[in-house]
Amino acid sequence: MALRIVERSAPAEADLVAACVRGDRAAERELFRREYPRVLRLVYRLVGSSRDLDDILQETFIAVFRGLPRFRGEARLATWIDRIAVRAVFDHFSARRRLPVPVEVVMDRIDAAGDLGDRAQAREGLRRLYAVLATLSIDARIAFALYAIDGRSVAEVASIMRIARVTAKLRIWRARRELERRIAGDAILRDYVARGSAR
Amino acid sequence: MTDRIVVDAPPAEASRDRVEAAVFAGLDAIRGAERAAALSADRPLVRPWMYPAAAAAAAVAVALVIAVRREPASRSDPARAPSLVVTPVGGSSRFTIDDAVIDAGSDTEVEVRAADPGEVSFVLARGTIDCDVAPRKGRPLRVRAGDVVVEVVGTRFSVARTPAVRVDVTHGQVRVRTPGGEFLVGAGERWSEGGAAPAAIADPSVPSVPSVRGPEEVAAPPDSPDSAGSAAIAAPVASHSDDSAVQPARPLAVRSSRDAFEAAQRLESHDRRAAARAYRAVAGGDGAWAALALYSLAELDASSALPRDALAAVDEYLRRFPRGAGIEDVMWIRVETLRALGRHGDARSAAAGYLRQFPRGTYVKPATRVAAPP
Repeated sequence: MALRIVERSAPAEADLVAACVRGDRAAERELFRREYPRVLRLVYRLVGSSRDLDDILQETFIAVFRGLPRFRGEARLATWIDRIAVRAVFDHFSARRRLPVPVEVVMDRIDAAGDLGDRAQAREGLRRLYAVLATLSIDARIAFALYAIDGRSVAEVASIMRIARVTAKLRIWRARRELERRIAGDAILRDYVARGSAR
Repeated sequence: MTDRIVVDAPPAEASRDRVEAAVFAGLDAIRGAERAAALSADRPLVRPWMYPAAAAAAAVAVALVIAVRREPASRSDPARAPSLVVTPVGGSSRFTIDDAVIDAGSDTEVEVRAADPGEVSFVLARGTIDCDVAPRKGRPLRVRAGDVVVEVVGTRFSVARTPAVRVDVTHGQVRVRTPGGEFLVGAGERWSEGGAAPAAIADPSVPSVPSVRGPEEVAAPPDSPDSAGSAAIAAPVASHSDDSAVQPARPLAVRSSRDAFEAAQRLESHDRRAAARAYRAVAGGDGAWAALALYSLAELDASSALPRDALAAVDEYLRRFPRGAGIEDVMWIRVETLRALGRHGDARSAAAGYLRQFPRGTYVKPATRVAAPP
């Protein structure tokens, strides 16, 4: 008997959301797998390499699935999920704000093919970058990371954080000013930022 | 410094299965707790208020500090048993009651009570709650903070008890009942304990009245418009006079420029004209908040397809605050509004001016395109 290959197209976003709201576990897994890589990138860029990364991602997706019945399609699903992820990051930072916790580098992919010394320096540069960001206000830290590291526009930062564009701009500006001040006296951080921007 | 920094995220495959397993285990735990709570209720129609209890049962998954307690067993109706939501300092919690979404802020203790069918009450012991309430069709939702009661039928508002009680309304209207009387508080207004009637951003149609400073108000900076007088702050007298149960407006609490600016920001999403008036009121003063308000007004006008108004605001900013923090953005908005008005030669000159002043600025690429000869 000949094997018949049937092309299966991915379900449309609205259908997938509706199935998730009905409690269809297969649909929930499909949505998770579609969105996970993007949400991971976003959260990683906001938080840096941290052993709390998994916890934040879990909280984000649990909140997504519990909140889907209230998703009315007024924003793109991706934007709506990004807001939840940013909220989870905000809660994470808020809970840990008073703790002197350094950024832990648990995993990294910095120039994996490069020289060992370069990789070590890049890892240290990354650690210092997030250490500087950790000294900022949570709002400024998130706004700056969304803009400068995740590559969002000011309008997108404002939309995700539900703030005015001018507020987003000011937060980014304040964070950049502080980072510039720290870079001036830190050659490793300066090299890391310059190297990253050149790639 | 460069505008963008490259940080590579780890590959999704390395953690996806692990996180996926944890997410669905957490969801199963939460849903199981919800089903158990639903099965134990006598009256199915009032079950949704038990969501905080279900969330607490899955505290590992949601990582929020939510404590739930029951009334003594002598109370036979479980629907009347209260739930307590407590957040730690620096923490926060979101929960839902029917269609209402409640955000409890840092260091907050709020008790949720279901009284008569469909009626929900919150007792705020301390901290802040932000309530987004869909129209409730006659099912009242009340927040009690000490002897102050806030009642709502469909709106967004927040109540703070720190320890003075303060009510901020984003949309709709709430009724605030106190031992001293009742007050209606509308969108963009604030009511605060201590003899203050609602304060609002100035409306030209409403006469301003003399003002006093409320006990919890933060003193405005010496260079702020508030220190120079209260012309920018007025009471919504008309909205009070049509309800005989509501007391006439009393002397007002003066809001700081920051409060007024933030109220204007909140108006942007649903009433741009009111937001523009509010920004204009703040911009009438001096200092950083006035500059920010003028910038925001220019941006609001530009995004509302009002380039002439935007250009006027921009030019005023450049004249009054030539060293303001938003000068770079303002100069770029000027380029955009000149283009929107069809004044391409002026836009080219403005773009060239921007490039001279900010050769490594945020808008260098588009400015270079505009400044290029036709």
